[in-house]
Amino acid sequence: MTNGDLLVRYAESAVRGDSDLPSVRKEVELAVGTHGLIEAAATVSAFEGLNRLADATGIQLDAGLADESADFRTALGLDSYSGAASTTSQGSPGRAADVMGIFR
Amino acid sequence: MTLTSDAAAIELNETLASGHDRLWQGLGECGTWWSGAERVAAIAEARQALRCELCKARSEALTPAMVAGDHDCVSALPAPAIDLIHRLTTDPGRLSNDWALRVIDAITEEAYVELATVICVQYVIDSFNRCLDLPLRDLPLAGDGSPSQVRPDGVGDVGAWVSQAVDKSLANVSRAASLVPDTEILWREVVQMHYSRGAQFADLVWDRGLSRPQVELLASTVSALNECFY
Repeated sequence: MTNGDLLVRYAESAVRGDSDLPSVRKEVELAVGTHGLIEAAATVSAFEGLNRLADATGIQLDAGLADESADFRTALGLDSYSGAASTTSQGSPGRAADVMGIFR
Repeated sequence: MTLTSDAAAIELNETLASGHDRLWQGLGECGTWWSGAERVAAIAEARQALRCELCKARSEALTPAMVAGDHDCVSALPAPAIDLIHRLTTDPGRLSNDWALRVIDAITEEAYVELATVICVQYVIDSFNRCLDLPLRDLPLAGDGSPSQVRPDGVGDVGAWVSQAVDKSLANVSRAASLVPDTEILWREVVQMHYSRGAQFADLVWDRGLSRPQVELLASTVSALNECFY
């Protein structure tokens, strides 16, 4: 993915509050432009909030999301996250036909 | 051009900046279960959590329960509310149902959800500013009024830790705060503004500053760092 490594470094630095955030931010702005940087900041901050509300309310995976992730959750270690205890259905491996199908 | 001031950000994305203005003041208004002054105090408390020694020690411990003590707090909010604010701010991936039930037992389910939602909106806006090295906003002005304490119709047990809208037409994350609809409006607006943007959410190709795969890579990285299962 174009600039994927750099965007991951930006997200890591922003979430952890690392001291290299100013320099990584400059790299991102040079690579994807000012609007790209704002988009990156908007996304990182949105998911900082989305993660917290999901964890605080103990929501379960939607059925489609459980199916979509059934064949890689364990491999990626996601089932060991504390929040996994909130979801009762393991799901059956399958792919949704479209974005909204994931959340059925 | 470098992003060194609020003015630059406003120039670059007026919609986002004006949206933040509106949402930020909305956080300070009287809620359904907490007064305006209490909600402003909660925002101050969430910022303080990032400097709290107990939160720091807990985040470094094998489990948060291994470290006892009192939070370094700056408000007169009830202790269970302060614990909710601090833990949600600093260690969200290790919240547990047992812990949530204890807080809910102390402050009520509705107050728990409203406080969590206020803190999440605040965290999004503060995080955005930190991401761009913009100054944090001053605390919002506290609105007048008394909480109406009206529980909405159409909510119940759908398998989460808290009651939610029983209408399953929305994704679980989209109705996470449905127990407090007046505050949920702020939450949904900030998520729409930052990420999903209405009908665009269903499109695999986005005409934005970043491509959809780039946006989802960022989203996945943040969620992995926060150890968010959902």
